[in-house]
Amino acid sequence: MKIAVIQFPGSNCDIDLYSALHDVCNADVEYVSHKATSLDGFDAVMLPGGFSYGDYLRAGAIARFANVMPAVIKLANEGKPVFGTCNGFQILTEAGLLPGALKKNDSQKFVCETVPLEVVNNNTLFTTQYQAHERIALPIAHGEGSYYADEKILDELEANHQVVFRYASENPNGSLRNIAGIVNKRGNVLGMMPHPERAVEALLGSTDGLRLFKSLLENGTVKTEA
Amino acid sequence: MTTVRIYVTYKQSVFDPQAESVLNAIHQLGHEEVKDLTVGKFFDLQVEGDQAAVENTVKEVAESLLVNFNIETYKFEVLEAK
Repeated sequence: MKIAVIQFPGSNCDIDLYSALHDVCNADVEYVSHKATSLDGFDAVMLPGGFSYGDYLRAGAIARFANVMPAVIKLANEGKPVFGTCNGFQILTEAGLLPGALKKNDSQKFVCETVPLEVVNNNTLFTTQYQAHERIALPIAHGEGSYYADEKILDELEANHQVVFRYASENPNGSLRNIAGIVNKRGNVLGMMPHPERAVEALLGSTDGLRLFKSLLENGTVKTEA
Repeated sequence: MTTVRIYVTYKQSVFDPQAESVLNAIHQLGHEEVKDLTVGKFFDLQVEGDQAAVENTVKEVAESLLVNFNIETYKFEVLEAK
C-alpha cells in the first residue's frame, strides 16, 4: 500500500505523518507537493495538520483550490482511503468530501493539550484495531476545531455511524455532539481534529494513535479492492 | 467598472464566539444599551461588465469561495458603478 502525504504551503505536521508511517509503521509513503496534478500509483492519501495558506479566509478554504485537490477527490471517489488530521480535516470539509464545517473554538483560545477520546465506531478502515467505545488519549492543537453541522446532518451522521471519535471528557472547542472525527458515508474518508501521528511512540507520551495507522495498513488495500 | 462590497457573516443560528467576546467588552466599557452585535468580513471587488454580468460574477465568487454555507451567509451592495 503506497501512501501520499500532501504538502501544502503552511503544512507543519507533514513530517510527523511521514515519520509515523515510514519510521514507526514501515509503510511505503511519499511526500507529494500541492502542485501535483495526479496521484496515480497511490493507494491512499493523507492531508496533514498545519496552517495551509495561513488559514486565510477560513481554515482550509484556499487549500481546496490547490492543484492536487482534484486528484485527492478522484481518489476518494474511487473508494480509496483518505485521511485528514486537524488542518487536513478542515480541508476535507471545505472540499466537500466530509459534511459540516470547523468553526473557531468557542473559548476563542488556541487549545494545545492531550485529551481523552471515545472510539465511537471501531468498524471503519481506520479503527478496527481499537475496541468499541474504547477510551484513548490523543493530542489536539487547534484554534478552529469546533465541529458544526445543522441538526439534520448531525442526525444523519449518528444514524449512519459516521461519528468515529468523540471528546470523552470536557469538550475542548465547543464542537456539536462532542464530535472529534467523522467519516463520509462510504467510510473511506476520515477527518479528525486530534493528532494520532503525534502519539505513535512511548517517547511521545502516548501510543494511542498508532493503531489508527496500523488499522489502515491492515485494511486499506484489502477492502478497497472489493 | 463596478465596485461591489460583499459582506460575510455567521448565520443567525450559529454561535459566534468572537461577537460574544466583543459584546462582553462593550458591556465592560459601560454600554449596556448595546444589546446585540454581528461580526463579519467584507470584500470589495472591482468587476468589469454590465450589471447582470457583475451580479453573476459576485454570486459565483461569494458562493463558491467567500462563503461557507454550513455556517455563513452573505449579502452584497454596489458601492460605485462607472
